[in-house]
Amino acid sequence: MASRTPSPHGDPGLQPERTTLAWGRTMLALVTASAFFLRWLPVYGLPILMLFAVSAGAALAIYLTQRSRYRARAQGLAGESVEADISAVLWTAFAGVALGVLGVVVVLTS
Amino acid sequence: MTNSEQPTPAAGPPSRGRLARRLLPGGEEPDPRFTLANERTFLAWIRTSLAMLAGGIAVEAFTSGLFLEPVRKGLAVILLLLGMMLSGGAAVRWLRVERSMRNKAPLPLPLLVPLLAGAGALAAAVVVVFILLR
Repeated sequence: MASRTPSPHGDPGLQPERTTLAWGRTMLALVTASAFFLRWLPVYGLPILMLFAVSAGAALAIYLTQRSRYRARAQGLAGESVEADISAVLWTAFAGVALGVLGVVVVLTS
Repeated sequence: MTNSEQPTPAAGPPSRGRLARRLLPGGEEPDPRFTLANERTFLAWIRTSLAMLAGGIAVEAFTSGLFLEPVRKGLAVILLLLGMMLSGGAAVRWLRVERSMRNKAPLPLPLLVPLLAGAGALAAAVVVVFILLR
């Protein structure tokens, strides 16, 4: 099997690719949300820029870590051991919670 | 992972970080495919949460000519709080699933599902009541 597959990890289910693409989709959703927040700048004024900063920052962080993430997972899968990425999960969830808190503040004070 | 080729299962792999040892104690490393699948499910919840957050901001900004202010703000806050709880709950669920898989236990029921359904129904009910009373 290893000789036939061009992927470095030899996983026929392409798990590292699928997971990296899932992060990429999330990054695109964050970019869309950032553009969306900017679009309502005339309505909410400057406070909405906080939401833009959080979502754009999270998108940038994902973008900058995609290569190393894929490499670590592909190598890990080749050795049948991938460590759960706790910090990435916690940071992403924190960004979502922060967007919610900031959003409620912006909506109630506008 | 790079130093020791084969970690001894009894002592636990020494390469795990402090956060991993603290939040995911005990058990043994699950199949890496399951860990990655758990992560993708977490990301799907995060994207759902982002849709709610963007929707909340849009309802408040977009519907000023349609809804009275309390309805508008109420809907926006419901959607924003839902997005917030989905993001936080997604991380909690990811942790619980990861722990269950380490201990080869059954996966926990997703509490996020009734939360999403309930809050979605509540937001819809607010709109229905408003439209009927208008």
